[in-house]
Amino acid sequence: MTEAIAALDEVTPRRIRTKRARTSVFWLSLPLLAIAATVVILPLTGLLPDPNAQDLDNTLAPPVWLAGGTWEHPLGTGKLGQDILSQMVAGGRLTLFIGVVGALVAIGPGTLIGVVAGYYRGWVDIVISRLIDAQLALPFILIALAIIANRGNSLPVLFLVLALTGWAPCARVTRSVAMEVRERQFVMGLRAAGASEPRIVFRHIIPNLIGTVVALGSLQVGTAILVESALSFLGMGVLPPDVSWGAMLSAGQDVLTNAWWVALFPGIAITSVVLLVNLLGDALLTHNDPRKRKR
Amino acid sequence: MNAGGTLLEVSDLTVTAAVMDRSLTLLHGVSLTVAPGEVVGLVGESGSGKTTLARSVLGLLESNITIAGGSISLRGEEIVSPAADRTVSIRGKHAGMVFQDASRSLNPLFTVRSQLAEVLRRHVPGIGKDQIAARSAQVLERMRIADTGRVLDSYPHQLSGGLRQRVAIGLAVVTEPALVVADECTTALDVTTQAEVVVLLRSLAADLGVGLLFVTHDLMLASDLCDRIAVMYQGEIVELGAVDTVLLHPEVDYTKRLLAAVPQWNGATSPHA
Repeated sequence: MTEAIAALDEVTPRRIRTKRARTSVFWLSLPLLAIAATVVILPLTGLLPDPNAQDLDNTLAPPVWLAGGTWEHPLGTGKLGQDILSQMVAGGRLTLFIGVVGALVAIGPGTLIGVVAGYYRGWVDIVISRLIDAQLALPFILIALAIIANRGNSLPVLFLVLALTGWAPCARVTRSVAMEVRERQFVMGLRAAGASEPRIVFRHIIPNLIGTVVALGSLQVGTAILVESALSFLGMGVLPPDVSWGAMLSAGQDVLTNAWWVALFPGIAITSVVLLVNLLGDALLTHNDPRKRKR
Repeated sequence: MNAGGTLLEVSDLTVTAAVMDRSLTLLHGVSLTVAPGEVVGLVGESGSGKTTLARSVLGLLESNITIAGGSISLRGEEIVSPAADRTVSIRGKHAGMVFQDASRSLNPLFTVRSQLAEVLRRHVPGIGKDQIAARSAQVLERMRIADTGRVLDSYPHQLSGGLRQRVAIGLAVVTEPALVVADECTTALDVTTQAEVVVLLRSLAADLGVGLLFVTHDLMLASDLCDRIAVMYQGEIVELGAVDTVLLHPEVDYTKRLLAAVPQWNGATSPHA
């Protein structure tokens, strides 16, 4: 009996911790993965009409559950009779792609710059920190409009905008975490063991930042999606025949009073995906908290 | 024990730190030698310059600290002087360092095996996988670790404090350096584990002829372990000599005060009773 209780004491706390840690991260990734799978797989089945196919006899048809709706267009049609469901799926694919790639182009350089500043300190840090300040002081939408006005709108330009505006917050956070990690004793231990500086940075400092970087990355996915939506809403984002949720939102704005479904579904999709991604980012940040990890 | 020759020679070392536009002298012309197989204790209160001296040997000083005068030589080769810092060439290979808190001196993300392998690969050119495994196991056995297999595959947080410190010492000596600098490496351990680590360090000096510079604030521990003791006070070595001489017949006031401050247990009148 006593042994059984002792054994329980050994096992229980550990089990609770892993379970709790998994629940939030796991349950938040699940719907996101489901959405990603849907937008990738559904078009392959051939069940959906072309998102750009026009059905001019059937413009602004309501969703199936409203009077006049048909199963032919379950979520209704747009101004030129495009199937909203097809557009949601195609737009979701592009939006998620923009979210992920847009996060990577900001997080990659941002992390590297932040780690260099935080690890090497001195004048390198001073220069980088001033650059971060300068970047953060510039209003994002101004940079975006200036670049797009100059370069035209295309995906590469959009990623350039996302990289330029996204690296600074990421660099600032990784810089401060790198400053904390470099002061840990094992870094001096590595130096005492003769490890080279690049090796310390790439093999030892950066892996210790992974938790933070993953969390930052997930937040940046949300930002990228919102940026694309905002730009598309201003007519500076994705161009037809490509379609994104932001572009759909923009297309729906002038028919909002008589055909709300054109804008509502992409709006709900953007909100829920960004919300899920942000919650996932928060969960990952807590999950990878070094104070928790050390235990 | 002293096999003639000098392994480490610190001569007239002066170290300054730039703090808020002022220059602060941390070490005032410190001289010290360590022979192969000799254990030299560096004792003194916090802020006396023990750690600064220990770190200068491996060139691990903060960037605001500079060598203002004097030199440090290892086996007759000058490695530290105001003009040059050649410590990079000896770190890990000819000199190893053990730190105060082993729970923080190992990278939490890697197993003991991969951390040992990293040091070996860096310092033993062309070493093969089998040799790495053999030498890793061998060094842990020397550290009197019984189940080397389990320890090698453990992450630092899965080991007890004493084991972790022995692993940290193992990391410092796996390349068979001539000199080991131990900076308060027993402070974070309980008394029994401390004793084990002391025995271990002693055997490194006796069996392998490693010269050991042992930094501690614990006089009694130093007396157990060391051949000679250097007492530091405000950046200077105020007394240097064989353990018995320094502890039984201290010449300097400061050493006497330090000795008087050691808690004594003499039967009934324990201060903690």
